[in-house]
Amino acid sequence: MKEYLSAVNSGTFYAIVACVLVFITVMCIVFCVKSYKAGIRLGMDKKVLKKTITSSATFTLLPSISILLGVIALSGTLGVPLSWLRLSVIGALQYELNVAEIAAQSFGLSGLNVSEMNMTAFVTIALVMTVGILGGIICCIFFLKKYTKKLNAAPKKEKTGENKKPGFGAHATTAMFVGLCAAYIGSYIGKLTPGGGSDAMPLIVAGIAAACMAVFEFLIQKKKILVLENFSLAASMLIAMAAAVVINTVM
Amino acid sequence: MTEKEKFFEEFNNGLHRIGRITLILGTLLLIAIPFIIGAINGVMPDLGGFAAGLAKVGVIYIPVAIVEFLVYSPMLGVGGSYLSFITGNVTNMKIPCVMNATDIAGTKAGTPEHEIISTISVATSAIVTMLVIVAGVILLVPLQPILQQEALTPAFNNVVPALFGALGLKYFAKSPKIAAIPLLLMSLLCVFVPAMIKETSILLIPSGGLALLIGFVLYKKDKL
Repeated sequence: MKEYLSAVNSGTFYAIVACVLVFITVMCIVFCVKSYKAGIRLGMDKKVLKKTITSSATFTLLPSISILLGVIALSGTLGVPLSWLRLSVIGALQYELNVAEIAAQSFGLSGLNVSEMNMTAFVTIALVMTVGILGGIICCIFFLKKYTKKLNAAPKKEKTGENKKPGFGAHATTAMFVGLCAAYIGSYIGKLTPGGGSDAMPLIVAGIAAACMAVFEFLIQKKKILVLENFSLAASMLIAMAAAVVINTVM
Repeated sequence: MTEKEKFFEEFNNGLHRIGRITLILGTLLLIAIPFIIGAINGVMPDLGGFAAGLAKVGVIYIPVAIVEFLVYSPMLGVGGSYLSFITGNVTNMKIPCVMNATDIAGTKAGTPEHEIISTISVATSAIVTMLVIVAGVILLVPLQPILQQEALTPAFNNVVPALFGALGLKYFAKSPKIAAIPLLLMSLLCVFVPAMIKETSILLIPSGGLALLIGFVLYKKDKL
């Protein structure tokens, strides 16, 4: 395990990730500068443009720290450089972990388990995580120009009536994630049985994470401490993971 | 076409050109990384495992990616879309950030001003996130020996249950009517057919499909 962890945390890997992230940062700077100049050319107030930069920077600060907590959560299994890369580009914590788990099982492991990992599994999982999330990018490369032209050409529809029912689309994503969670929680319940290995730890950890999330939801919804929204997921996970260490030591 | 409209069209065409080139280059770089790391360590990705994993991931995430593209790109504008889809965290960070910035600037969707504000907002957000994570990673490096302690193995071995416990609470509380049957069926299946426990990646497909079906029926009956 030590050998695996030192390979996935090698200096070379850090350097490669840094190069890719510099490329993407330069892309962001180019887009920002071009848009700023275009805004001036279109007669927009410089104060408004500067305010956009400062408000977006401050707005992003807290959620970025929660992404950093996600890097810590992923780093124990996949190493810091890959976690750093995956959470800086394209993905989000939920996607990365779910896909890594699916890829680990497809490779023949019991799951994303650091004790079972080796370098072949690692590069396979990394490739599935990378290619699996390219859908949005492929859509942008091939269809964004046509799609935006079509949207601009289409006559703006006036909203007719206040009682118009929203589409199923918004519910579809929620339903999909409900199904996803049901499959995982069901498997943790199955692990309690002798046939499943009588392993209660995953269900206990999931239960602790759910309890923490319930407390956060209460504080957000009822007490209106909205700043917690940014941290609820990562913090619930880290508390539950810490509990796993304590339970393992005690038992 | 006014001069302003003409300028904006040319500007957008320029963004499309740079956006496409950089996205293609970025994608190639990202795909190359597992191969480079593999080559350094004398291994290559297992193509069978990759194909099996990708097929399961694709069933779930290709429709999600298409829906996100169709719904979010009009909100993000041209520049904002190219940047958001390469830098990620679209739903949880970029969209709220753009909505906040355009609210403050008071621009209307579909106008050139709105697109400019949106692009600047996404670019700034992405750069700040990169910087925060870089700072965090620099702080994490000295902590590596602690994070790699054997005693912490149970924590990292249970990162997936921790995620789905927290997410499950959130989504089940949001839609208990959709959740009840898939949760019960998946639990029964794993209890009575323990071999399925190791096949969670396959279970996701019927479970997600069932939840979608129940959601659709409830939606049609106005019971969501």
